[in-house]
Amino acid sequence: MDLPPPEKRARKSYSLEDNDEIMGIRAILSDEFELDIPLIQAHSCQLETKQQLQAVIQELSQKLPYFQHLKRVQDRDVLICPSSEIDASETLEQHLQRFAFSEHVLRALCQGNKVVKVPQRMPRLRVQYEKTQQHWPCKFHPNHYSESLRNGTNFTASQRIFHKRMAQLLVKLSRDQNAGRPVGICVDPRTSSLVAIAGSGEAQSPHEHCSMILVDFVARSQHGGAMETNLSFAEDLTDSEAILSGLPKSYYDYLTKNEDYKDLRFGAEKSRRNEKVEDVQGDDNLAKFGPYLCTGYDVYLLQEPCLMCSMALVHSRAKRVFFLRPSDNGALATRFQLHSVKELNHHFEVFQFTTNEDDLT
Amino acid sequence: MAAFMEEAFIEARRARDAGEVPVGCVFVLGDKVIARGGNEVNVHRNATRHAEFICIDATLAYCREKRLPARQMFSEITVVVTVEPCIMCSAALHTLGVKEIIYGCENDRFGGKTVVDVAAVVGQRIDITGGVRADEAMALLKEFYKGDNPAAPPQAKKKK
Repeated sequence: MDLPPPEKRARKSYSLEDNDEIMGIRAILSDEFELDIPLIQAHSCQLETKQQLQAVIQELSQKLPYFQHLKRVQDRDVLICPSSEIDASETLEQHLQRFAFSEHVLRALCQGNKVVKVPQRMPRLRVQYEKTQQHWPCKFHPNHYSESLRNGTNFTASQRIFHKRMAQLLVKLSRDQNAGRPVGICVDPRTSSLVAIAGSGEAQSPHEHCSMILVDFVARSQHGGAMETNLSFAEDLTDSEAILSGLPKSYYDYLTKNEDYKDLRFGAEKSRRNEKVEDVQGDDNLAKFGPYLCTGYDVYLLQEPCLMCSMALVHSRAKRVFFLRPSDNGALATRFQLHSVKELNHHFEVFQFTTNEDDLT
Repeated sequence: MAAFMEEAFIEARRARDAGEVPVGCVFVLGDKVIARGGNEVNVHRNATRHAEFICIDATLAYCREKRLPARQMFSEITVVVTVEPCIMCSAALHTLGVKEIIYGCENDRFGGKTVVDVAAVVGQRIDITGGVRADEAMALLKEFYKGDNPAAPPQAKKKK
């Protein structure tokens, strides 16, 4: 626990920019992962000999249990407490006298005092961890998945090709079928099947943004849907179980008549009504219980969603949100990161396509 | 305006009786209720059909019918709702620029004031008053969540 996690092998350093070009998709991680760890001031002391360490650490950990995320000792320097704990009107010694240390420990704590800067919390990513090391040694539990999100290795090559294909589709559908206005696609990632497609309308109501329409079209594929619309929707095929009612006919026809998209799959799994829970270990709720709102679904959007739309996708329990173009009022990267608000009862992952749009079409 | 909370409660109880999360809302213009509604999430299988959105849609329909400019209409509307509007509804109400919001109990899971400062993100501030008959609004919710949400999948039910 106390040793720094060993570097498994020499890691090739990379810049995010190089990576963007190769991967074309960037995870939008919360500030907790992206920013340098803030530093706070702490009081330290320097012991005369290392023989004193055991007694000092033992009493410190009982009486001043701070810095769980830090190594308390660096060589002979020992962290005592955050400087903010000591009143301006008192000396370190006066402060420490409140805690009834044994006399020899108190004496040791009051020698070679310094104010040092230490990381405020534990780093989440190795790149943050490495930067903390110049200040004070810090604990770190590397998380393979978080690291992979940061360096883009979370997707396999074929997954990345599919995601980029959806980005390409967004650009084409918007250009060819929705007069350049925003569009969105909802996909069941288990089968890479397009469940719903929506585009924002021309004389739209002020709140009828693409994502709001998209979740309503997903509802249509589950015998629901509240929005009044003049659109006609694709009809289910007789030789397939897939539910096509979330797909407006215009988009569906455009895609099915285009040679380039012959291999795309369409439709939602049929809602399982009142069916018994299958105890599938390790699978997500979509696999276990069938379609419910956007549970387990991926949502691809041409434009970064606004706060209203982002929260609509939280309520709808989308699994991942991908977007292509940032929005001035975007709430996943530009103005806010709704997905990093801990209090919410659902969290999705957010990715932005970084490929040049001209390369997509 | 707080006197209109009873009207919002009527909608909340109606939602409860229909098997929806009991939240009710009315839009007040002058001294008149021009739109009213409760949650309609389960019936539509659409998690965005909150009481506030039912009222927004009703107001837009009202404006279309009477050929009134919606933007101006919203700027004169007081929103009275039994529970603090969620982040989504609050963002919509801020963007539409309603005159004020009066709510009953706080929403500590996804309230548009308690959990996220929606006004700061949207870049528009409006008057918001909470705590009007909060205990009653909370009692309705608690009573509802003791039972099962009929639309939630089995696992979600178990957790409650």
